[in-house]
Amino acid sequence: MKFLLRLGLAAALAVSAFSHAYLYIHGYQHIPMIGTAFLIQASVSFSLAVLIVAGGPWWLDWAAAAMAGGSLVAFALSRTIGLFGFSERGWDPSPHAAVTVAAEVLCVLLWAGGWVRLPRRRPVPA
Amino acid sequence: MTQDPNTMSRRQLIRHSAWFGAAVGLAVVGGEVISHVAGEEAANRAAARPTLRFAQVSDSHIGFTGAPNPDVAGTFGHAIDQVNNLGYTPDFVIHTGDLTHLSTSDQFDHVKQMLGGVRTPHVFTVPGEHDSVDDAGQKYRSVFGAGTRGDGWYSFDIAGVHVIALVNTLNLKKLGHLGTDQLDFVKKDVAGLSSDTPIVVFSHIPLFAMYPDWGWGTDDATQALSYLSRFASVTCLNGHVHQIFSKTEGNVTFYSGTTTAYPLPHPGDGPAPKPVTLPAGKLHDALGIREVSYTKGQTALALKEATLQ
Repeated sequence: MKFLLRLGLAAALAVSAFSHAYLYIHGYQHIPMIGTAFLIQASVSFSLAVLIVAGGPWWLDWAAAAMAGGSLVAFALSRTIGLFGFSERGWDPSPHAAVTVAAEVLCVLLWAGGWVRLPRRRPVPA
Repeated sequence: MTQDPNTMSRRQLIRHSAWFGAAVGLAVVGGEVISHVAGEEAANRAAARPTLRFAQVSDSHIGFTGAPNPDVAGTFGHAIDQVNNLGYTPDFVIHTGDLTHLSTSDQFDHVKQMLGGVRTPHVFTVPGEHDSVDDAGQKYRSVFGAGTRGDGWYSFDIAGVHVIALVNTLNLKKLGHLGTDQLDFVKKDVAGLSSDTPIVVFSHIPLFAMYPDWGWGTDDATQALSYLSRFASVTCLNGHVHQIFSKTEGNVTFYSGTTTAYPLPHPGDGPAPKPVTLPAGKLHDALGIREVSYTKGQTALALKEATLQ
């Protein structure tokens, strides 16, 4: 169960990383600060995804959730008050914005899912 | 000696450090790869930058008054603003006819003045039938005819592309007509060109049979196009029909452009092509401009239509 959760977490993180890398390559590299942030997001997320699948320690999950959560906060800022003077509207660029947000929300949920303890079946007294 | 369960053994510390090192190392390698791909992509884009970019506006009908568009000068002005804000300076701008509505001197002065506001090195025009209402195009040629041949036709070369501007609105019966002199001009004009030269042809009335019942075609265009059949890429741009339409016949692609004045019905939609009055707020969606770009090494020209903003 734990392994499947981690696999899902890594997959969601990889999707987010891919979207960020794609946008970086196709234009975002030229946006000051945002370009660098996209490059770091993509490369760190890829790295975490690979190491989680490889069976790395628990703190990789925390790092993954932090990366996904941070990206979601940055997304929210870019749609509201702006981030480093950069702002976008709605779900543009489509479909990358929606795909990335979905992947990152899933990532956080799967990380949180790892903390849910299923009730253990108690031995029935004889 | 027993170990405190909350402390980390040296072995664990080494293991965590190794994972951390791997994370940092992979992130650096990933970043390098993404940067490299992005660099190549940017270089490819720079290399693929079009060798020729121009804009087309059409059918401004300056002087028209009526419910379909109470302010044709205003919408034409918007179109010019849009051309001026493409983000680059087009190599030239072509107006494919019906510059004026009734060919009066005032209307020609007005449209000439407005076209002077287009930020481009060259503005080219061809006349529409509304530009030669009562004088076989004399007033048109006195304003826009400098450097043209015959009744206003001409050609030029730019960025490796051969451009031919034809007049098919004089001697109109029902369909557009080029006439013998102009056909000879086309034949001689392209005779010395190599077959891989991209050809762009401008005219007001379509050079293809878009809807002959309404006169949307040119009766002797086949003859003109036969002189162009050996060329790999021929692009014909026209106005007159006030709507976007395209058709490919062999090596030739025809593109009808929209207007900056008022829409006309779709072919066969009603008895005649009369100006259409759209519901309030819908007019700008029917009007627009066109961007055309040519990249050396590619056969087809790229077109981008934009509605009036």
